[in-house]
Amino acid sequence: MDIKNEVLYRVYFLLFGLLLPAAGFLLYSTVNIAILEGEHWREQGRQNYVKPRAVPAERGNIYALDGSLLATSVPYFDLYFDPFASSEADYYANVDTLSYLLATYVDNTYTPGGFRDYLIQLRDTSNNRRMNRNVPLKKSVSFSEKSRIQSFPLFNKGQFRGGLIAKKLSGRKRPFGLLARRTIGYVREDKQPVGLEGRFDSILGGQEGTQMMIKVDPQSDLWLPLNDLSEVEPRSGDDIVTTIDVNLQDIAEEALLAGMRRHQPDWGTAIVMDVETGAIRAIANLGRDDAGEGYYEMYNYAIAMATEPGSTFKLATMMALLEDGHVKLTDSVDIEKGKTIFYEIEMEDASSYSFKLDSITVQRAFEISSNVGMAKLVDRFYNLPDNGNKNKGAYQYLQRIRDFNLDLPTNIELEGEANPYLKNAYSEEDQWSLVTLPWMATGYEVRLTPLQTLTFYNAVANNGRMMKPYLVSRVERNGETVDIMKPTVVKKAIASKSTIEKARLLLEGVVERGTASKLRTNQYRFAGKTGTAQVNYSRSSRGTRVGGYQASFAGYFPADKPKYSCIVVVYKPREGGIYGGDVAGPIFREIADKCFNSMIDLHDPLNDGPRPVLYERNLPGFELGEEKDMRMVLDYLDIPYYGNPETPMVVMSASSDSLFIQNRTMSESKVPSVVGMGLRDAVFVLENRGLKVITEGAGRVVRQSIRPGTSTRGQTIKLTLG
Amino acid sequence: MSFSTRIAAELRGDRVVWAILVLLGLFSILAVYSSTGTLAYRERGGNTEAYLFKHGIILAAGFVVTYFAHLLHYRRYMNWSPVLLPMAIILLLYTMMLGPVINEARRWIVLPVIGLSFQTSDFAKLALIIYVARAISSKQDYIEDFRSAFLPIIVPVVVVCGLIAPADLSTSIILFLACLLMMFVGRVALKYIGLLMVTGGVVFVLLIMLGRTFPEHIRVATWESRLQQFYSPEPGGEDTYQIDQAKIALGNGGLTGVGPGNSTQRNYLPYAHADFIYAVICEEYGVLGGATIIGLYLLLFFRVTRLITKSPKAFGAMVAMGLSLVIVVQAFFHIGINVNLLPVTGLTLPLISMGGTSLLFTCIAFGIILSVSKYIESVAE
Repeated sequence: MDIKNEVLYRVYFLLFGLLLPAAGFLLYSTVNIAILEGEHWREQGRQNYVKPRAVPAERGNIYALDGSLLATSVPYFDLYFDPFASSEADYYANVDTLSYLLATYVDNTYTPGGFRDYLIQLRDTSNNRRMNRNVPLKKSVSFSEKSRIQSFPLFNKGQFRGGLIAKKLSGRKRPFGLLARRTIGYVREDKQPVGLEGRFDSILGGQEGTQMMIKVDPQSDLWLPLNDLSEVEPRSGDDIVTTIDVNLQDIAEEALLAGMRRHQPDWGTAIVMDVETGAIRAIANLGRDDAGEGYYEMYNYAIAMATEPGSTFKLATMMALLEDGHVKLTDSVDIEKGKTIFYEIEMEDASSYSFKLDSITVQRAFEISSNVGMAKLVDRFYNLPDNGNKNKGAYQYLQRIRDFNLDLPTNIELEGEANPYLKNAYSEEDQWSLVTLPWMATGYEVRLTPLQTLTFYNAVANNGRMMKPYLVSRVERNGETVDIMKPTVVKKAIASKSTIEKARLLLEGVVERGTASKLRTNQYRFAGKTGTAQVNYSRSSRGTRVGGYQASFAGYFPADKPKYSCIVVVYKPREGGIYGGDVAGPIFREIADKCFNSMIDLHDPLNDGPRPVLYERNLPGFELGEEKDMRMVLDYLDIPYYGNPETPMVVMSASSDSLFIQNRTMSESKVPSVVGMGLRDAVFVLENRGLKVITEGAGRVVRQSIRPGTSTRGQTIKLTLG
Repeated sequence: MSFSTRIAAELRGDRVVWAILVLLGLFSILAVYSSTGTLAYRERGGNTEAYLFKHGIILAAGFVVTYFAHLLHYRRYMNWSPVLLPMAIILLLYTMMLGPVINEARRWIVLPVIGLSFQTSDFAKLALIIYVARAISSKQDYIEDFRSAFLPIIVPVVVVCGLIAPADLSTSIILFLACLLMMFVGRVALKYIGLLMVTGGVVFVLLIMLGRTFPEHIRVATWESRLQQFYSPEPGGEDTYQIDQAKIALGNGGLTGVGPGNSTQRNYLPYAHADFIYAVICEEYGVLGGATIIGLYLLLFFRVTRLITKSPKAFGAMVAMGLSLVIVVQAFFHIGINVNLLPVTGLTLPLISMGGTSLLFTCIAFGIILSVSKYIESVAE
């Protein structure tokens, strides 16, 4: 065998004996995996990377009564910056303008120069720093702000050439800010859901959809939807329309906050309810923050805090006595100068009216909120030994209280309502004693939430018909109503007609002559009851040790045709008094005033009668002003007038039943008379002539310190307004 | 004269080898563009064309290099051999001691002035193959002699492979295997080849022992874990992740593939553009695509075999065979890893995977093969 052939044989062996079989084996393996085992591996791939993924549904809105948005979902953005996205030339060409704009509009903690240094340092890699391609710029940026930042030089080149990265997130926004914050509430991960957001989560939340998605990149959470038939579209959440009236809510919160600042209590609450329907128009809750500096909506005291109501409970006591026919309003009761002893325990009246009085009418005792009077009546008629007759004694009293539904929660659509606490008659378990009833008569040994008390007062205002308080009136889907929550009648009549009439008479009396008489107003009439309850007390035969007071006022307005009922509770006021009439009452008045002013339908129209004849004496005379202002006012009021003046300033005069406007000329070099002018006009006229104006008082100019006609030399002129 | 005929006139040598080069280059462009998508998003802010252009430019440069390499007479390469081999050994030593650590291994050096980094083993491969081919062809008459023929051939092989092995065992094994096959074809006695295999084994064992003493220089721990993974994989564990992804890619591809650019597994395969590009090709072009790749490499060797039939003893035939063997063996190893016949190790598919210098050296190899074919054919005529 020669060399040539041997080499050839060996090469053929290499080709056909080694490489060709190897190639065949590789091909076989490929076929084996790709085709024979193909289905298995495809399935493996699907299992690992194709998954049904939840498609979040859009959350519904929460609307106020008038359709304003209380809570809605809006997109917001977290902005990041990649300093290495842009070309070096672009970066350094724009860094000056960019740092100026960023320092001015985005992040004030840097000066433009400081920002420039920072940006240049970010791009600098000379010292082998790790490249940060995700520099946080600003968090929680609105869409419009993001759009503006995107228009900055460099950033306007887009994400890949400019380097601005906007990560979209979705958040819940309350356009009215903190308004009714706790009542609107929230749903957050790892937290107990709160308020309407929590209670109506299933309606607002809608239904998540699912879609098969394939994971695009194992290192980041990027998913690409696969189009197939298994897709389930998400259903957007429905909107809920609440009964909250943003104006009333604002009024209630403002009034409560002002009262809280005055009295520095632990917490306070105010609720406004529509008498006829039980719809809650406003619910304000303010609690002292942990630092003790300000007040915030942090807890729904109105529904979750059951406390001893104190004197506001006396209405229930009186209605029980009246309903059972035990007393008439004109009966008399001896209040013993506001101090007596029940079964070795002393009881005192809180109000200063009592200490000169002894025998007075039942009505008067209620109006001046006499504890002794109420307790003695209840003691006399109900505090009988237990003889098993369920219609007598304490049984009878408690049955009346139950008739008023004061033993039941209101079941308002919010989580966390506290149950009322009411003792069972003669129950040892409830530590029933001889003094239980007298104290209960004055609102102790029983616990109610502010809302429960208000629901009872609302029933009285609503002629005995008790309505269930509610916050949500409608559910809407795409603007169409899908569910209506109608007002619910809890009880058609909590007491007889005559009892209700008397109860309302009593409540009006409290404002006319009693503990709330300071709050009376001529504008409209309202009715209500003050309450001053001791809290954290310990009672012994030597008297009562008190740890503070709870001041409250419950009532309704206008007294003769009640439109709204309202309760204000202020817990442990520290300054400016403790009494319901001094602390809670003024807040109630403020709310009622503003409500009344905003309720146009409650006011008599001013021009209700025939058009009045204009007489010279009730026409305005000697009014000064600019011609066009004067014409505008007169035209608007539709008052005929005559005259065609040529000067910009005119004077109005009346003769018989006609109005004239006439020229008003003023010398440029002499001090003019400005008496009768408004301050704006007077200052305009005088300072244009080089005078300096100082003023005193308010109103129109009644006196001027420099006589008209004097030459002007830049003097100082003093105007007295009145 | 039209442009294409002008090119055809310019390109001497085996037209089939030229065609193989172009076809592999075409596959390369398609597969690299597809599989660098996520890389582009992670590293270049989504500029997917960045890698396409970079790779395209390197490939074009490679073709130019091939063109000039095939213009030179292959004897030139033979004459340079006494310089090339010592240079390769020095460079390897330098790399092993002072090269920068990239991906836990010292495989690269940065060329001064140009700033280009390249893998010294690529250069060493070329130098060694040329040396061995020259030695075999010049010692044909007394090739069966141990001292005067075998030893001079084998010592550089063992030295070069031994120097590559610590940082890059798979390349070393491929090179060793290619040299072994060259010697086999070059009529080195089978008993010596047997001895050589034993020597290789001994060197390997020595390396492992050295590696336990100098773990920074020799990656024994990596080899052990890779082998362990291959022979006793934990099902579903992290260890089998890569190969499972490759198999899913093959499964997705089936017979005809999911189409160019539609691979999903490219996002899951680590180094899809380099170490697992065969799986990506199989996913996008199916078994047919895979078979085409295997066929192209086999065809390359087949064409080289043709050269040997024409001038069996010549240096040219020997160097062409050696270079094509290195290419084909590496390709087969790469494919073997991709179809789970071999343990996972970072091995590129010659001329197809992305990677600058190794592609350039492969192009030089093609150029030398073409130069050989050009002259052998002209002599035969």
